[in-house]
Amino acid sequence: MNDIIAAARARGRSQLTEVEAKQLLGAGGVPVADTRLATTAEEAVSAADSIGYPVVMKIVSPEIAHKSDIGGVVLGVENATSVSAAFAKITDAVAKAAPNADVDGIAVQAMVPQGTEVIVGGTTDPQFGPVMMFGLGGVFVEILEDVSFRIVPLEQRDAHDLIREIKGFPLLDGARGQEKADVAALEQLVLKVSAVMEDNPDIAELDLNPVFAYTDGAIAVDAHIVLSSEVA
Amino acid sequence: MALIDQERLHRALNPRTLAVVGDKGPQYNWLTNQKDFTGELYSVQLDENEIPGIEEKGITNYKSLKDIPGDIDLVICAVPRQVAPYVVADAIEKGVGGISMFTSGFAETKEPQGIELQEKLVQMCTDAGMPLVGPNCMGVYDRHLAVKFGNGLEHGDGGDISVISQSGTHGIGITNGAQSAGVKVRRTISIGNSIILNESDYLAYLMNDPETPAIAMYLEGTKDGRRFSNILRQATKKKPVIVWKGGRSTAGARAVNSHTGSLASSQAIWDAMLKQTGAIAVASIEEAVDAIAGLVHTKQPTGRNIALIAMTGGQSVAITDQFESYGFNIPELSDASYARFAEFFTVIGGSYRNPFDAASTIRSEAENLQKILEILADESVIDAGVALEFRSRGFEKPGDLDEILDLLDDYRNKTDHPVILLMPTHGVLSGNTEEAAQVKDRVVARGFAVYPSFQRGAQALGRIVDYHTVGAEA
Repeated sequence: MNDIIAAARARGRSQLTEVEAKQLLGAGGVPVADTRLATTAEEAVSAADSIGYPVVMKIVSPEIAHKSDIGGVVLGVENATSVSAAFAKITDAVAKAAPNADVDGIAVQAMVPQGTEVIVGGTTDPQFGPVMMFGLGGVFVEILEDVSFRIVPLEQRDAHDLIREIKGFPLLDGARGQEKADVAALEQLVLKVSAVMEDNPDIAELDLNPVFAYTDGAIAVDAHIVLSSEVA
Repeated sequence: MALIDQERLHRALNPRTLAVVGDKGPQYNWLTNQKDFTGELYSVQLDENEIPGIEEKGITNYKSLKDIPGDIDLVICAVPRQVAPYVVADAIEKGVGGISMFTSGFAETKEPQGIELQEKLVQMCTDAGMPLVGPNCMGVYDRHLAVKFGNGLEHGDGGDISVISQSGTHGIGITNGAQSAGVKVRRTISIGNSIILNESDYLAYLMNDPETPAIAMYLEGTKDGRRFSNILRQATKKKPVIVWKGGRSTAGARAVNSHTGSLASSQAIWDAMLKQTGAIAVASIEEAVDAIAGLVHTKQPTGRNIALIAMTGGQSVAITDQFESYGFNIPELSDASYARFAEFFTVIGGSYRNPFDAASTIRSEAENLQKILEILADESVIDAGVALEFRSRGFEKPGDLDEILDLLDDYRNKTDHPVILLMPTHGVLSGNTEEAAQVKDRVVARGFAVYPSFQRGAQALGRIVDYHTVGAEA
């Protein structure tokens, strides 16, 4: 079993934290926004210095789902002084809102430029096992349910079809004067996620939401991994 | 079921000796079904009241499977459920090739006795490596050997497709429908509860069966989705596989803690799996039979550019709408072709631009149709052949129809492109039902795919194009 999953299992957790999920995906070659865990303000400054400014800072706790609602997220942190201040601010806010929460620390994440939002997901079908989903972010997935699926493992052709099958594909392909997204990079990202799911049968569900697609490259900005209730 | 020996399965599915156990009068359906069976047929029946009726049919009856001299390749078991384990025990002891079990009342009843009996059969057959078809099924139909599970199943040579069906009704329906469309069904296997052999085993067998050029399946679920999708992926690389998945209910509980999980309905995953494996997915028996007819009777299209020949202006609009909605292009033809059409085509109340409005040009004579088809055969833009609104009446002389079918045959042989015929039920050319049925039978006998509406023809041919051109555009 993967070390990150084993450690989470050992702590009795059924989900990975965002930092763990990104570590796991990153190790599998999935491009993820550089995200590091800091347990002290000093560690946070050091992480931010290394990542480069500006950064995003977020509370890391498996028990806090809606981080921004309780003041657990600070965006656009520009320098070391601000990192220290944000660390204290988030720590205080979480201590007030969720005093008993199991807190790992604070994530320091590279603030990546906005791209076209897509979602790359995975789940476990009772008949066919691990499957992957693709859709455009926001209203396209939430309201229109414009998504496509393939069974893991995906081959190159499956990644190609998965992305092109959604009705909204023209929006990635330069419709209405938009810049064309790097669909080849999205295909590679999908194939890497497929390999991560294939290699880790303990992953029951997975959401990379959003993934930013650029004219050159693509990157997972947020990641959520749910473990299977039984050890695989 | 990895424990089943392939040679033994082959023996069971290609029997030279057959024993029907437990058939009952007054009909003796199972024995009667085998009246054309090409091998040795025996009956096993203990009931003294039933034996005279069996012997009257000229069939030798035994009190036990074990009493039959010589080997038995396939046992058709039609006994009451509580007797089934005894028949299976005898079959194992005798070393028969396999068992096809019509008997029902097992786990499908969801009652303890049925479940317990089924578990017993599973244990016995698993231990013995016994290929068991069913239970709760119609078993096997074999065109060559005349092993049958119903009336109206053909006995003969050849074979265009084999059928696997989780439902006996749909297995018979697809087989009959295909036969009516002029398709030779090589084998049909009704798989029932699939307690030993399941859909993946049959698919694997038919995938490697040299006498099965194509496969059609009706399924409501799968015993092992990963294995099934893996075998299906291999199978579609060897031969076309049509899959009709029935039932939209979700199979099993799914933990949903993510966005993705909430969107992944069972049907969505089936649809994705069928696309991913390269199967031809259909959604009803009509679509299944339509696709079978298209697959068997049309040449391989190499693209989506089709010539549409309708008989009136209104129909030329209707036919175009349908073919466009299934992804076809109805391209303009070359100036050279148009110049040739201009020499003879009746443009008052007609058009040769594609779609064709051709009734006043073609009438019931073959001559102008011949010219049209010759020009279309030279037309390089057309790569999906011709769809022709076909008259269901008005063939004045008996030879007219044959002459027209000869021309269509010439076209498809010369171009290697599809020809499909459309006989819309509500078209102006639809004759009285009897006459239309006679015309249709003659068309089918010449090996043409014929459809009762533009929509069904367009949908079926669209699927054939998808199948033959998949991967080409990537």
